Amino acid sequence: MSASFAFPPSFRRSVITIVVTAAVFAFAPLVAGSFALHVLTISFYFVILAASWNLLAGYTGQFSLAHHAFAAIGAYTSGLLGYHYGVPAWIGIPSGVVMAALFGVILGRLVLRMRAIYLAIATWAFAETVHIYLTADYQFTRGELGLSVKPLYGSVDPLPYYFTFLALTVLVLIGLRALIDSPIGYFMRAIKDDELRAKSLGIDTTRVKIAVFSISSAIAGLAGAFYGHFIVLLSPQMIDFSEMAKIVIMVVIGGFGTFLGPVIGAAPVQMVMTYLQKYGEWNLAIFALIVIVLMRFSMEGLASLFTPLWRNLWARHDA
Amino acid sequence: MSAPLLAVDDIHAAYQSGVDILQGMSLAVPVGGFVLVIGPNGAGKSTLLKTVFGLLSPHRGGISFDGRAIAGLAPHEIKRLGVSYVPQELNTFPHLTVEENLRVGGWTIRNDAARLRARIARVYEIFPVLAERRRDKAGGLSGGQGRMLSVAREMITEPRLMLVDEPTVGLAPNLAEQVYELLQTARQSIPTTILLVDQNVSDALRHAEDVVMMNLGRVKAAGPVVEFGEARVRELIQECLLG
Repeated sequence: MSASFAFPPSFRRSVITIVVTAAVFAFAPLVAGSFALHVLTISFYFVILAASWNLLAGYTGQFSLAHHAFAAIGAYTSGLLGYHYGVPAWIGIPSGVVMAALFGVILGRLVLRMRAIYLAIATWAFAETVHIYLTADYQFTRGELGLSVKPLYGSVDPLPYYFTFLALTVLVLIGLRALIDSPIGYFMRAIKDDELRAKSLGIDTTRVKIAVFSISSAIAGLAGAFYGHFIVLLSPQMIDFSEMAKIVIMVVIGGFGTFLGPVIGAAPVQMVMTYLQKYGEWNLAIFALIVIVLMRFSMEGLASLFTPLWRNLWARHDA
Repeated sequence: MSAPLLAVDDIHAAYQSGVDILQGMSLAVPVGGFVLVIGPNGAGKSTLLKTVFGLLSPHRGGISFDGRAIAGLAPHEIKRLGVSYVPQELNTFPHLTVEENLRVGGWTIRNDAARLRARIARVYEIFPVLAERRRDKAGGLSGGQGRMLSVAREMITEPRLMLVDEPTVGLAPNLAEQVYELLQTARQSIPTTILLVDQNVSDALRHAEDVVMMNLGRVKAAGPVVEFGEARVRELIQECLLG
């Protein structure tokens, strides 16, 4: 019996499930029209944002309200580099990731010593600052006029973007699963369980939190940077609070602090919201109400419906 | 006489400025010793341990561990030097498995996989119950097993000094005795030095070598246990309580 570190059996199972599910989605273009593919692509973008926010909030207990801002930092970095300096996407996108991670480290150092509610307020203030900057410095960022970004594949046909975001989602989900099942994963969960206890074990909790914060920011930046080259027109609307609210709604409806939650929460919420767009802000109000009710009764959301299914699926292997 | 492992020298510490809980507390713990700190409620016993571990910073006085000044260092820095702290409340992580709890305890040696593996194997050897339940969530352990896990988890880093705060509070008497044996096991197998704070005076006295009696944030009396009969201790406590 070796006690050395090895991924638990659940890791391999998750990877298999992710890959098989993605393989099914790879056939979607055979039946889905171009608008549906467009909506699915945006859904994948939100799966990445929701899953990476869940890493921070659901697994580590750090309720940040700046996740959409990190996506915007990624998107604008690549967009501005391209717009002003003609930098190609293959340099712009990694730059966006690095920029988001860098801002994550800096903001993390400033706010991660704070307790929950103060952390939420401070991160929200940061997001608003980025929002105001992007709007105000319109000579550089083009503000509300919108920053046009070169499409990644030279055209706006949704098919290649669909596959790009599908692949990106698979990679991010496997990466997140690996992180959660790795030693940093149980340090994260220990901090969420009880930070003071974690401290009393000599765990440098701030360091773990900053690491998780910058990883999740980098992932948001990655998703944002690709997103910019997909929607080809960026506006400060990307950091509207409703975007953050959407991420929270997706995670809570799917299942807060569960791996599956953001994955199954994001797409339905994005689709329903797309089709309810004609009702404007009411759309968000209705979802907010659903979230309040869900949080009151169960934090495990839709994911809890899948737990028994998941167990049965692998029960034979455990026997 | 050799230098003490831990020397606390005239420290003053407060949770709120102006209200000192420790008011000139001093004590010395010899290498390999087992020092018991007793005293009435509010004497500052738990505060003493928190201050030594860096959860609270003394605004006056010094603390040295193995000849090195540690007052003002952060808990994770003090831990790295070889000091462990087992707080009063059950401090396992209920949502993590037994093994994950042990691994979490190994933060300071997290980059040395071989050492971590050997230490965990050793702990399982000493506490076979934990090996049996390694994949169970710690939240499902009994009170005694929970204590075992929290002491075992500290043993992962093989600390040179263990600060233990009222480990038997809320436990049935037979379990309390097991906890003291647990501490003795840890002390001999690592081996380590123990600074124990306890209200369960009569049981704890049987295991300690030296005793320090605290009242109002400073030492009231101190000496080897052999010179401190239980009757004498009770007398002193009464004096403290009656003023």
